[in-house]
Amino acid sequence: MNGKELTLGHTIPASSAFYRVRHFLSTPVNWVFLGVAGILAFLSLYPTTFLIYGSFTDSPLGVPGQFTFQNYVRAYSDPSAYPLVLNSFIFGIGSAGLSVVLASALAWITIRTNAPYRRLFELTAIVPNILPPILISISWVMLLNPNNGLINVTLVKLFGLEKGPFNIYSIPGLIFVEGLILTPLAFLIISAALKGMDPSLEESAKTLGSSEFGVARRITFPLMRPAILAAATLNFVRAIESFDTPAIIALPARIEVFTTKIWREALGSFPTNHNLAAAYGIGILLIALLFVYLYRRFTSQVESFSTVTGKAFKPHQIDLGPWKYLASTSALILLIMMVLLPIMVLMLISFLPYYHVPTWETWQNVTVKHFKTVFENERVYKAFGNSLFLALGGATVCMLLAALTSYLTVRTKIAGRGFLEGLVFIPWAFPGTALALGLLWAYVNFPIPIYATIWIIMIAYVTRFIPYGLRAVSSTIIQIHKELEEASVVCGAGFFATFRRVLIPLMRPGVIAGWIILVTIFMREFSASIFLYSPGSEPLGPLIYFFYLDGWYGPMAALGLIISIICIILIAIAQRFSRWESK
Amino acid sequence: MLRKAYLFAAFFALALLSAVPANSQSAKMIEAAKKEGKAVIYGSLESGTFDTIVKAYRKKTGLDVDYWRASATKVMDRALSEYRAGKPLFDIILTNDNPMQIMQKEGIFAKYESPTAKDYPQDAIDPNLGARYRNVIIGVVYNKSVIKPADAPKSLEDLLKPQYRGKLVMPDPTQHTTTTQWVASLWKVMGQEKADKYIRDLAATKPILVESLLPAAKRVTTGETPIAITYVKYAYVYGREGAPLDYVRLGKMMGDGHYLTLSNKAPHASAGKAFIDYFLAQESMKLLAQEGEFVNLKGVYPPLPDADKIQFVEMVDLDKKGFAAKKKEYQAIFLK
Repeated sequence: MNGKELTLGHTIPASSAFYRVRHFLSTPVNWVFLGVAGILAFLSLYPTTFLIYGSFTDSPLGVPGQFTFQNYVRAYSDPSAYPLVLNSFIFGIGSAGLSVVLASALAWITIRTNAPYRRLFELTAIVPNILPPILISISWVMLLNPNNGLINVTLVKLFGLEKGPFNIYSIPGLIFVEGLILTPLAFLIISAALKGMDPSLEESAKTLGSSEFGVARRITFPLMRPAILAAATLNFVRAIESFDTPAIIALPARIEVFTTKIWREALGSFPTNHNLAAAYGIGILLIALLFVYLYRRFTSQVESFSTVTGKAFKPHQIDLGPWKYLASTSALILLIMMVLLPIMVLMLISFLPYYHVPTWETWQNVTVKHFKTVFENERVYKAFGNSLFLALGGATVCMLLAALTSYLTVRTKIAGRGFLEGLVFIPWAFPGTALALGLLWAYVNFPIPIYATIWIIMIAYVTRFIPYGLRAVSSTIIQIHKELEEASVVCGAGFFATFRRVLIPLMRPGVIAGWIILVTIFMREFSASIFLYSPGSEPLGPLIYFFYLDGWYGPMAALGLIISIICIILIAIAQRFSRWESK
Repeated sequence: MLRKAYLFAAFFALALLSAVPANSQSAKMIEAAKKEGKAVIYGSLESGTFDTIVKAYRKKTGLDVDYWRASATKVMDRALSEYRAGKPLFDIILTNDNPMQIMQKEGIFAKYESPTAKDYPQDAIDPNLGARYRNVIIGVVYNKSVIKPADAPKSLEDLLKPQYRGKLVMPDPTQHTTTTQWVASLWKVMGQEKADKYIRDLAATKPILVESLLPAAKRVTTGETPIAITYVKYAYVYGREGAPLDYVRLGKMMGDGHYLTLSNKAPHASAGKAFIDYFLAQESMKLLAQEGEFVNLKGVYPPLPDADKIQFVEMVDLDKKGFAAKKKEYQAIFLK
């Protein structure tokens, strides 16, 4: 048996096409590849095709029309479109960069150092991912708006300033808030990879006389590069397609980014112009694909990142000495910004009859009426049931597909495996609203009654968020050395046995991290759900938005806090079951 | 005396005879509605206000509804998409005049003359859409704890004064359709020439632009921006929660009408009709008024001070082309 045959999914060259097909189908992993490719192709290409079609037609959603380039001409011949491309890039790169820097620092402190209370920081770093971004943005506006932001007001009073030093309504403000929103996602990806890293290389470097800083710079950081790039890529695309933060901060500041332009010109215009929205969506897709290509180039030399081997190890922990208190203080400051301040504002909103800058009189008016409203509202219970079903079911399906896709793209040499990753990234690169429109278009006449049921939302979640799971799993699988699979195959195990008994347990940190990310995202997903839900299938995301739309800020904040608490409990349970800590 | 008694008896009998068919029609309708199940409504009326009506409706009839709430634009978008695809799930659409007119032109509505619509003034009845049950009125709302009533603006023109610069918030007229209509209708209260100048001067004060009328009002309640161009009803709605709000008594104020109309492909037509009958009746209109709405029944006002003194001026209707042209025009003025 040679090395080539040992590699799962590797096909032997043959002269005849028939022989090649027969040989291809004789390997179980190839059947898995075909199945996964079929599902992913259907999930992503079907609605995407409708979106592309929509961008080249002149008729409204669901109506056959004439072929036209007019939507592209209108979208991209407008001179004002080009400054917004620059703005979007600055916003995307700034937010993704900030999130990765903060997440890396937090992950390194919590996992690789002996900083006190690091376990607490690790758990609470996930909390902001649970809060709906719209609530975080609103909180920061309450904290940093130039007129009566709480931080500005406090600084003015403390130092006798003429006006508050911070202005949230600016590009730095926009980047700061989006960076904080994106940090937990980067943290989950980077920390999962950091936990799975073999410390032997670091120990060797240390033995050879390298300082702790030198080890971090020369060994740890290069080994972490795929995870850091994965997080940066994900967050860049997520930032340029996000609308929540720009709607709250960029619109009043008159900063135009891609999504505010789409909103102004197409989706929020009257009447809605889906064709123009699709043409803009294609622009974002191309930008996203460029970044996916760059990501794949960065991580092409997979072998050089293999650090999880069959040998038992414990992650290398750095003794910071007296600096450990500084590390904890840094993590604490980050967590005050990411968790405590937004939650404090949400609590103020939820416990005051109406939100205002607190005075001494405020405390006499504290009320629980907003929580009462939430608990007495049957719509909340219904929405909670729907979201829980979508979150648990959707995240499980997503992670199963992501684990298989990740294995097939990273560990096999099946021709066309790159196509799988491309399939997954296509719908994700569209703004959620545009994908939702594609799905509506695609499923409204579908023979199986999926339209206007909870299943169309489930399909949207799985389609759009597989990349999140995929990145989490891939950054772990890249580090698993092939020798373990090869040993399993040598011992006579087939593909399914090897996948189940060797790879899944080794991939567990990534799988669990991905599952947690997805559950927390699905519990509050908004941009796709808002277009897809029907009466009876309303999830929590749109419900929170409608509380916002109806000016029910108090119940909105109360519901946001309740969802967060439930998600924290879910995460704690998931972590316990995964035995993640023991790794 | 006896003659008077006969006359009264005859009048009473006549009234009873005319009422019996209506009651039996209503009873039959409710029976049919119960067999069909819940009516499905797509609308832009705030959920809290709508819930008040639905609770009373349930109590009175034992019927229930499913409500899908979104902005007027999204309601129209969804309704038209479903209708064009031949799968309309809604029975009733409930939203602003302009999108209702566009949907009417697309032919999605049935003509249903509700017996309860007869209580509305004749000029509030649209031949195709039915009764215009309420008006949404836009004015100037301010925060009394930041700006003392004596220092508050007294007119739209006052908003241009330097002391209010940076203190005014309004929905973005290049994006928010009702505000596009409001700006485009200013000539109705100040004349064309003056309105043209006013729009440019207003834009030059660089008001804070937000996505719709409610976020504008919310900024006034928090004090972040103390003056807003928004629905005057918010002065009452948030005032009753304790927010120190008041509105400028402008005299003439502009606004738009609201309708609810049955779909001509309603899956639960009887359930839809039963709800429309209840919704347009005095009982539910009084509930709406208590929630701060300006309903179209004579003598019924929201509990907002001086609500009865407001002179309502209906905004101009714009078609698709009209909206596009105005938005382009306002982009050059407000976003430069």
